Amino acid sequence: MITFSRVSLIYPHSTTTVIEDLSFEISEGEMVLVMGHTGSGKSSLLRLINGLVPHHTGGILGGEIIVDGYSTRSSKPGELAGIVGIVGQNPLASFVTDTVEDELAFGMESLNYPPDVMRKRIEEALDQVGLAPLRQRNIATLSGGEQQRLAIASALVMHPKVLVLDEPTSALDPIASEEILAILHRLVHDLSVTVVLAEHRLERVIGYVDRILLIEGDGATSIGEPSEILQKTDLVPPIVRLSRALSLDVIGTSTREVRKQSEEIRLTAPDAPRPAFNVGEVSLTFADVVAGYGDKTALNGISLQLHQGEITALMGRNGAGKSSLIKSAVGILSLTSGAISFGSGSSAKNLTGIAQRERSKLIGYIPQEPGDLLYLSTVEEECARSDRDHKLINGTTLASLHQMLPTISAQSHPRDLSEGERLSLVLAIVLAGSPDLLILDEPTRGLDYEAKNRLMALLHERARRDGTCVLMATHDVEIVAEVADRTIFLADGEKVADGSTLEVLLASPAFAPQVAKVMSPRPWLTVGDVLRSQSSSQ
Amino acid sequence: MKAFHPLTFWALFSSLTVGVIAADSAIVALSAVGGAALIVKFYKQDGPWRMSFQWSLLAGLVLIAIRALTGILIGVPRIGEVLFTLPRLSLPSWLPGIRIGGPVTWERLSSSLHEGLIIATVIALFGAANSVTSPHKLLRILPSRVYQLGVTLTIATSVFPQLITSISRIRQAQFLRSGAKPRIGQIAIPLLEESLARAVNLAEAMEARGFGQSKSQSRYRPINYAPRDLFWIGFGFLSATAMVAL
Repeated sequence: MITFSRVSLIYPHSTTTVIEDLSFEISEGEMVLVMGHTGSGKSSLLRLINGLVPHHTGGILGGEIIVDGYSTRSSKPGELAGIVGIVGQNPLASFVTDTVEDELAFGMESLNYPPDVMRKRIEEALDQVGLAPLRQRNIATLSGGEQQRLAIASALVMHPKVLVLDEPTSALDPIASEEILAILHRLVHDLSVTVVLAEHRLERVIGYVDRILLIEGDGATSIGEPSEILQKTDLVPPIVRLSRALSLDVIGTSTREVRKQSEEIRLTAPDAPRPAFNVGEVSLTFADVVAGYGDKTALNGISLQLHQGEITALMGRNGAGKSSLIKSAVGILSLTSGAISFGSGSSAKNLTGIAQRERSKLIGYIPQEPGDLLYLSTVEEECARSDRDHKLINGTTLASLHQMLPTISAQSHPRDLSEGERLSLVLAIVLAGSPDLLILDEPTRGLDYEAKNRLMALLHERARRDGTCVLMATHDVEIVAEVADRTIFLADGEKVADGSTLEVLLASPAFAPQVAKVMSPRPWLTVGDVLRSQSSSQ
Repeated sequence: MKAFHPLTFWALFSSLTVGVIAADSAIVALSAVGGAALIVKFYKQDGPWRMSFQWSLLAGLVLIAIRALTGILIGVPRIGEVLFTLPRLSLPSWLPGIRIGGPVTWERLSSSLHEGLIIATVIALFGAANSVTSPHKLLRILPSRVYQLGVTLTIATSVFPQLITSISRIRQAQFLRSGAKPRIGQIAIPLLEESLARAVNLAEAMEARGFGQSKSQSRYRPINYAPRDLFWIGFGFLSATAMVAL
């Protein structure tokens, strides 16, 4: 279906090749995962399939790409619209119309399909992704998962033979992401659609894919069965790290496979509790907080206390109120009733009354789009501004950034950094003010495992060494399992669970991390937990 | 509820506009705005355009204020009851007939306010039409010869509401970084970068979905007139006639 023969790609005004001498073949009805570090050229590779690269972006293409008999060199993306459907990283940014049905009709109208064909295909597509009840809805009112499903449906109405998706689950909660993958699985198995996708959260997709195409840092690529490719790389999901740590014979990719092989440790190893730690004093208190937008209530009577030195994860489905809770704490969402106070006992002060400048000193905030905080043209200037803002000796911020990430270049433009590098820069800037509280909104979106490990180490160090109180809203159960001491679940603006990460994650099957699924019913969430138990038995 | 024909409310509000201008009366203008407010309340559409009426009312108020102020400051003197006298600015002799400052009469003030009110009403009626009919729907019924233009405009207009959300998001983030009000550059630079990326993204998505491939385009769900469309159009026409006649 897709043939790459000796493909090389170089972008204009660039001296390095993005892809070099790449050859592979993908057959009909296959589901292939493209993986690699951020910035390794995954998105470029995906967009080569329908010719957006280089027709739309410019650049020099060497070699030949044939999709269903058409060469992308001579066919433009528009001509391939009936063969390749592409779903971008941010579906909302690629919608053209404003209601669900109009969006589905857009591609077919462009190709002048007769109205009765359109009607039939729109019905089909709505059923395939389960959006039929929402057909008249305005796109802006859909949830993240629904938008992703709509983006897939508007590709499906064209009856494509190939479906290309760039990080389809990165913005979604675990349940919505399962739904998307189930849809893709059905397309591959029932309709023999060829699916090519890129994704950083391997734990979510690894069980579904037939083969993996790995792009390594030096441009070298390899393609093969998951178990074979995953042996060669460090970018592996927790289940593979588990197989390695236990020295299993076969690197399994599904819960069932690894479960079969790890029966012995499950039955014999004693429980070794996670190392206990004593939380510090109360840092932030929410007292019966109610807040909302217009007549819509987003937080409905939330009461909770966060402590110094404690890392708290905030979880829940899209639209459960996570971002609203964070916004109310940092001061951009005003409260309808209730209070948020900082500090403990008699020294506690109500945050509603204090000036924003003072509040910004107490609370460091990393927004969902870290780039929103940046506007200067080099990393160095941003760091220098942060030194001035926080009244530090010149160079302090840059030094701490280099400590975090030695490879970053001080002269590069913040927009040219990879997601992981940009997050490090913003973290260095925000932490330069030594805030008592650090609040992060969905920090792991678009991060590869390496960048995620760096983030986890930093959070851990800040919390344990400096006693910073950390609150992190995330959909990423694996980072929660690794780093969070406590987990709070929100649903519909209310707190539905609050307890140690171990208790909360084990209680909910949909939000259980991979290791916990393999090791169920034992109370182990991470590879570290399993190893600790194993070593305590020897 | 099945949607109205996109032209229905435009026809209604256009007739009302004609009526208001022809009648040139403050009472007629105010009752037209009142009627529009009721229609907007009942038939408001979802989506980013629904606030158009409120915004146009605000714009109208600002306009009345500006019109009154310029009416007081600049203008041809009118005979009548003098309310107060402003110091007069002497202009060079080659600018005859224009006066800045001087005595302000009740007649001068009220005629300025009246003019301002009529213009504000026209704007409010336009805003009301936008609130009840998404401009996107209006563009969809364009004849196919200008359809391409219509789609281009659709895209331009759908980016606009997203731009506003981006502005407030970036402003909040910058505000929280320093605790001080962000300067224009601090918002404009990330915004510009984001808008450019978004425009490229959208163009890419459209191209990948075959936009511009075929010379003629088909329409999903052609839109037809229903009896209640005719009712509202007739209502608009009759009220306009009544306004002109009275």
